[in-house]
Amino acid sequence: MGLPLLSCIILLPLIGSLVAAVVKWENGIKYWATGISAIQLLTLIYAGTKFDHSATSFQWNEELNWIQLPLGSLGEFVIKYSLGLDGLSFLLIALTGFISFLAIINSHSIQEKKGAYFSLLLLLNAALMGCFLSRDLFLFYVFFEFMLLPMYFLIGIWGGPRKNYASIKFFLYTLIGSLFILIVMLGISLAYIDPYETAKHLGLIQEGQNFDLEALKNIQTAIANKEIANFDLVHSFDMQALSDVNNCQTTSILHPNSGWLLNGLSARMWGFWLLFIGFAIKLPMVPLHTWLPDAHVEAPTPISVILAGVLLKIGAYGWLRTAIPFFPKEALESANIMAALGAISIIYGAYNALAMSDLKKLVAYSSVSHMGFVLLGIASFQAEGWQGAIYQLVSHGILSSLLFLVVGVLYERTHDRQIDHYAGIASLMPRFTLISGIAIFASLGLPGFSGFIGEFFSLLGAFTSPYIHPAWAVLGAFGILLSAGYFLWTFQKVYLGKTNLFNTAWKLPDLNRLEIFSLFSLGILSILFGILPQLILDWSKYFVSNFLTTLPY
Amino acid sequence: MGLTPLFIGLLLFPWISAMLIAAFSKILTRLLSSFSILLSFIQFIGLIYFIYQLQGNPHAIHLPWFSLGDSVFRASFEASSSSQIVAILVATVAFFVQLFSSSYLKDEPHLARYYLYLHLFAAAMYALLFADQIWIFYASWEMVGACSYLLISFWYQKEVAIKAAKKAFLLNRFGDIGLLIGLIGLSIHFDTMEFSSMQIGSVGPAPIAIGLALLAGAIGKSAQFPLMSWLPDAMEGPTPASALIHAATMVAAGVYLGIKIYPFTGEDTHLFMAVVGAISLVSGAIFALFQHDIKKALAYSTISQLGLMWMGMGSDASLLHLVVHGIFKAGLFLAAGSVIHYLHHQKSSHHLDAQSLNQMGGLRKQLPWTALGYGVFAASLMGLPFTNGFFSKENLAGFLWENAQNSPFYPIYWTLLACLAIGMLLSNWYISRQFYLIFMGENRAKLALEKSSKWDLSQHIPVKILALLSLFFWTSWNPIHTQESSILNWFQIKTIEVPSFWLIITAISWVLGLSLTWFSRHWIPTKNYQFLTAFWPSIFQFIPWKARWTHRIDILILDKFLVWLAQLQVVTGHIIAWMDQSLVDGLLVGFSTKMSQVSGQFLSKWQSGKVQQYWILVFLTFGLFLLYVWM
Repeated sequence: MGLPLLSCIILLPLIGSLVAAVVKWENGIKYWATGISAIQLLTLIYAGTKFDHSATSFQWNEELNWIQLPLGSLGEFVIKYSLGLDGLSFLLIALTGFISFLAIINSHSIQEKKGAYFSLLLLLNAALMGCFLSRDLFLFYVFFEFMLLPMYFLIGIWGGPRKNYASIKFFLYTLIGSLFILIVMLGISLAYIDPYETAKHLGLIQEGQNFDLEALKNIQTAIANKEIANFDLVHSFDMQALSDVNNCQTTSILHPNSGWLLNGLSARMWGFWLLFIGFAIKLPMVPLHTWLPDAHVEAPTPISVILAGVLLKIGAYGWLRTAIPFFPKEALESANIMAALGAISIIYGAYNALAMSDLKKLVAYSSVSHMGFVLLGIASFQAEGWQGAIYQLVSHGILSSLLFLVVGVLYERTHDRQIDHYAGIASLMPRFTLISGIAIFASLGLPGFSGFIGEFFSLLGAFTSPYIHPAWAVLGAFGILLSAGYFLWTFQKVYLGKTNLFNTAWKLPDLNRLEIFSLFSLGILSILFGILPQLILDWSKYFVSNFLTTLPY
Repeated sequence: MGLTPLFIGLLLFPWISAMLIAAFSKILTRLLSSFSILLSFIQFIGLIYFIYQLQGNPHAIHLPWFSLGDSVFRASFEASSSSQIVAILVATVAFFVQLFSSSYLKDEPHLARYYLYLHLFAAAMYALLFADQIWIFYASWEMVGACSYLLISFWYQKEVAIKAAKKAFLLNRFGDIGLLIGLIGLSIHFDTMEFSSMQIGSVGPAPIAIGLALLAGAIGKSAQFPLMSWLPDAMEGPTPASALIHAATMVAAGVYLGIKIYPFTGEDTHLFMAVVGAISLVSGAIFALFQHDIKKALAYSTISQLGLMWMGMGSDASLLHLVVHGIFKAGLFLAAGSVIHYLHHQKSSHHLDAQSLNQMGGLRKQLPWTALGYGVFAASLMGLPFTNGFFSKENLAGFLWENAQNSPFYPIYWTLLACLAIGMLLSNWYISRQFYLIFMGENRAKLALEKSSKWDLSQHIPVKILALLSLFFWTSWNPIHTQESSILNWFQIKTIEVPSFWLIITAISWVLGLSLTWFSRHWIPTKNYQFLTAFWPSIFQFIPWKARWTHRIDILILDKFLVWLAQLQVVTGHIIAWMDQSLVDGLLVGFSTKMSQVSGQFLSKWQSGKVQQYWILVFLTFGLFLLYVWM
């Protein structure tokens, strides 16, 4: 394959975005963006069919040297443009591609500055794809930061009445999170040596030559015995190198044997928690979640869809790719606290959702609750829990998008999201009620829909895990009762009962074709994945089993 | 046809039926009922043929489903003898209920939705009965709950109905948390995910904690004490659906779970089950007396009868009563449905509540066949000889009596027997009283009732056949003894002989119950008294209250704190700016003024406020970066 497929997936929306920004089409711009997104989706499907399921590691790696920075006596810094695809990445880029496509085709409510809107949307898509495909921490960070700008403008310009407040809040929260990530990123890359790059630097191996396990061991011993001169050491941001604690310099405070303590915690523990919190803001985890309801309420529907459907997943992805592999022992020691935070997120988010009178806020808080299952599953450090957490990422991506689109359908017709302003719309919009019912039952975790599998395996992992207290699992299980409570309450108030609208002038026509396509495609996916969970589990199994077998038990 | 494809076909057919109903609902407007009845008849015939082919043997299938880590999840189903007989019950009742509905709901505009829900329910119910893999069992368990939600809220414009549906679902969910935890516990304890391979063997029976968790789920589903209050409310749904779901089959799923776990749970779990059952038996029977709505009275009667099955602890005694009760209770509901339907269509009574006992009395003249059917079902409930109820009730007493002989917990068994006697007395009282208030005496509303002019077969046939099925000769030709019962042998149901003193107690309870009915015949409850109303609503009001409180924390403390923190930065900024102006600026007035003017003008060009420009800056930066990379 001559074409660098992964770069294409990132470059395609980038080019599309540039064209959309420069060319002044008023009405055609939407079709341009739709086309770009459709091509990207086809590329992703093609990638999915060509994906080698037997490969246990990354495939289609693309690597280019980007920055080489001599640091004198500290050695040399190498930053690479390095992309790769594994099952976990594929699940998330496929989700991103599909959700972006739906967001773009459902953007007809955007009437002003269309060019800028679509170009920012495509830019956001490119940044998200980059995030999920990067294998270099620095590159990941660049894409991670890059996501912030389009999102800030998309909320700040096309948002609702309190858009300024919401967008700045979103910006500040995420910025603080990335600050934490930055600190750890710099610290860990200075402390770690990349053996492969060092060997290359020393001329021990040539470009493209196979670097086997034995050679790796040799270099690591050589570094540990200080046989290599300081200025010949090469630091890099390669995530794989950073995941191997043997690459850590013995003199560094990040070394496991260093006695360095701050407030009773080792430097590695600090590193883990800084990374953890940095990504927890994105997830979002209670108590770092308050940006989310505001951002959702103010954002236009398609942006809410992307925000809930894809953006939140970066938080968990960051844990799975960086925080936990970099500091596995520390993560394992903190498992109980992580599980507690997850269980609290589940319950706290659900209680908040119960108190909401605004539909979008309700869905936003339900997201907090559902993402708590991801954290609970990850904290279990069991195959079931991790698979469940990854499954929940995809499932929540589908279901929260569906729920936000459902809210969008109502909002577009009436510009009102108050739950008590509606009653009995089942008689007016039967098709809409059908798909809303599917969305609601799927989200409250009814078996047969995808929502159940994710929550179920996360809980199963949490119950069987030796690392966490079963009380957190029990607490998490009560979340499924509360979620049934707020969803059914909403369903009863808005859809069932005698038709009674706040404003009698409201016209509520049933779904049009575009809405039927968007909503039902998500609903059908949810049922499909709910009945055949292996469609998702098969993608992530090698990632999970590879990682969990290397855990220091 | 081989047995395995037939089995898979039977599991899939109701789902396909539901899809067919959904697909053809627009085309088959008038024939929809017949089509739906035909579909459930095919399922019934297929099931009978399948079970006949099995010749009383179990049949299991294990299909590959998915694997996760080291654990392989198989889609396993097993047609054990207990699931076979309950499946026949479900198929029979489902068929008759559909037949009955075609007349009862013939003016209903959304009939397609109704039949769709019924088929979905049947599909989930068969999956529940035949599931061997515990998670398929759990999944179908939740799905029958969802179908019950959909059917209770079928008339979604009725405020009471949708509230009842929500309550039913939430109370069930509450129990299901227990079931979920219990099933996880089972899978860890026995290290398998299939019921059929759970054996006491070396690991010993499942500990009481697991048993209690599992039974919590069953309590929710079977509306046992203390999660019972949803069932009377659920009567807001269509009556035939109540007959199928909330009387004969779904509520019995809790008992069925007890039957499934009976072989590998300890006596402590069994006794807990029996005690819950005893409380429900007595309290349900008491509250059945205090209803003036006939459906609500029957709902409390269902709670009470399910309690009786629970007292069987999941043994064969429970199973026998489950099947017998399923037949006569479905019959009672359908007969009550006929009565309601008849009153509802009387011209003189259109403004009255057709379900209230106050409107009834003396209906034997207008509805003689219904009265006869009702009488047979009531007799079976009372356990009078010549009915199947006699066999199953005496068998249950025999089971308790035998356990009392050789168990260290014999005082509990004797208490249970005492509760059974009291429960039987109360049951005899409420059901005979209800029969009296509906059919005997004179009409209390003084309505000018017309004789039922139409001979509506689809309402009469189900009631008559179910009444026939409630009679003794299906079980055994000997009306007071089951020893040569071919049907019980076929399904390997063991029966236990009851000591003769118990027959005397039973006879006394009949006489006493009937005389109590005679003495209390003029008293009619003024409203429907609810068990535990004072207790449960306050719990459920506590949750929204807590939710509001949590939200207040979220807004007032968490969010305020962070906003305040951010504002503090701004205040600090103002202080520093003030210092900058008055101190630093004061020192370097000339220079800094000039500089800031120049730089301000320059920078403000960049701060144009136009997104496109911001964006191009962003893009240029990113483009330069990529350019660098690619070079």
